[in-house]
Amino acid sequence: MELLHREEEARRRRYYRLILLGLFLVLVGAMLLSFWVGYYPLTPLEVVRAFLTRLGYAGALRPQAVTIFWNIRLPRILSAVFIGASLSVAGATYQGMFRNPLVSPDILGVSSGASLGAAFAILNGSPNWLIQLSAFTGGIAAVAFSYLISRKSAHSQILSLVLTGSMVMALCNAGVTMIKYISDPNDVLQQITFWLMGSLTKTDMASFRWSAIPMTVGLAIILLLRWRINLLTMEEEEARTLGINIRRYRLVFIIASTLLSAAAVCLGGLIGWVRLMIPHMARALAGVDYNRLIPASAMLGGAYLVLMDDIARSILSLELPLGVVTSIMGAPFFVYLIIKRKERD
Amino acid sequence: MLLEVDQVRGGYGGGDVVKGVSCCADAGEILCLVGPNGCGKTTLFRLLLGILPITGGSIRLDGQDVRSFSPRELASRIAYIPQYHTPIFSYTVLDVVVMGRAARFSAFEAPKAADREAAFAALEKLNAAHLANRKYTSLSGGQRQLILIARAICQSAKVFVLDEPAANLDYANHQLLMEVIADLARKGYCVVMSTHSPEHPASIGSRVLLMRDGQVAAFGPPEQVITPEWLEPVYGIEIDVVTVRDRYDTRRTICLPVRRPAQPLL
Repeated sequence: MELLHREEEARRRRYYRLILLGLFLVLVGAMLLSFWVGYYPLTPLEVVRAFLTRLGYAGALRPQAVTIFWNIRLPRILSAVFIGASLSVAGATYQGMFRNPLVSPDILGVSSGASLGAAFAILNGSPNWLIQLSAFTGGIAAVAFSYLISRKSAHSQILSLVLTGSMVMALCNAGVTMIKYISDPNDVLQQITFWLMGSLTKTDMASFRWSAIPMTVGLAIILLLRWRINLLTMEEEEARTLGINIRRYRLVFIIASTLLSAAAVCLGGLIGWVRLMIPHMARALAGVDYNRLIPASAMLGGAYLVLMDDIARSILSLELPLGVVTSIMGAPFFVYLIIKRKERD
Repeated sequence: MLLEVDQVRGGYGGGDVVKGVSCCADAGEILCLVGPNGCGKTTLFRLLLGILPITGGSIRLDGQDVRSFSPRELASRIAYIPQYHTPIFSYTVLDVVVMGRAARFSAFEAPKAADREAAFAALEKLNAAHLANRKYTSLSGGQRQLILIARAICQSAKVFVLDEPAANLDYANHQLLMEVIADLARKGYCVVMSTHSPEHPASIGSRVLLMRDGQVAAFGPPEQVITPEWLEPVYGIEIDVVTVRDRYDTRRTICLPVRRPAQPLL
């Protein structure tokens, strides 16, 4: 009788392992497919050959194929995967940490801070790398500010963070509006607006490389500590009596998630819905245990954003802003998911 | 003595709420905390669990001061069993129970086969292994309370702290829980629980700590403490304590709040 329950548990674990493998294949498939999408379709053979040029291959190949592969497609696809994974993992972490499935990393002001940083840099006519650096710094500063003020508050830590976060968010949004108001509508205002829409048009290998560093660090921290997020979903005192220092973990997860979100925003602008929606989809597929949820969210988020970017750049003759596509595709699906889950429960 | 509380003081920073409480309990005993709201029961629990700092006196487990333990070490000696709750995500029962092992592996690890086996063993101890693969959120309040007890067993602590465990349970589950608690004591655990009903210590408790304004009003075996003389000044109402025999000839103690009849209120 008892063995039966162990067997069932083991079976479930095997099933989830298959799901994770499946998600990995989906991610790889989506990436390969994306090389083919665009103005210059690259056939799978061309993709392989273009890749091999760096390893000394010098066979028959259109010269543009090499340029497109290395300078346009590859940075764009890698950016989409990293941004998708980062946003999803940060979203899943925040939902656990704040014990609320509707929370996104915005809650501490990372996106608003990044927007303010970017808008300020654009207003000053900065080059692209400085805009990105300014966005990254703005996002980190906003969260640091929220966190430090929250420590002065006598409320519970979660409530304090939510309160100070919304305050910082309001300030940053006011700053962005102010900059938009005083900027030249024919040039700077346009640029700011486009930046805020979220797009991967401007990604190149250099900016990807710089953003990949904080994203890799953030992903590594959360991946290594992922099982502990389960404990943060319990009441604070309860988690403490299980022997863990909940505030220290919370700080570590806030830092890691902020690195992820800030880097994602500075590389791709504001891309909505991913961090809220993907963790929920991943939960439906791989279960709620963070040990599986984090890898599942990362792979699903990466695959999702790559595919959405394919749609953004191929569905119309002009390229759609990625943030718009993720919202249009994501929101109805999310509603469907909520309704379906409710029926099952 | 497994648990020794000696003139302990502590509170939330704005003055002590617990003002010099002493009590003790050994393995296999149930220590019941009784007293009106705000008398310091929960604060005393927080001191026991290392959540609040001790400002005076001491709490010893197996003769060692709790302040000398790291949070991990403390977790393997004393476990907190909260009132059943609804987590935001629908973890399986096994996921919840295995969290009791959190202090036993490093932050970079997830539970391993041995941890899952310990969780199964804890569930079996409570005859609840059949719930292992169910969703914790789909269980009844009584079942969830049982699962949280299993988690404490899985934590391999010897002292269990329960804060008003029966508060949200219905009548039958309430009785079942009391039986489980009595059974834990028989298995050698030391149970410390607070309760609003003085009948609990009278029926299952080995020792009773009656608290009032952060101090000990009385401490001793239930026959001595659960009496009108001790209860009435603490609660400020008249209480009769009667002993009856149930249909199986077991002695039961019942506390009856009473009021002098035919006294108009105005």
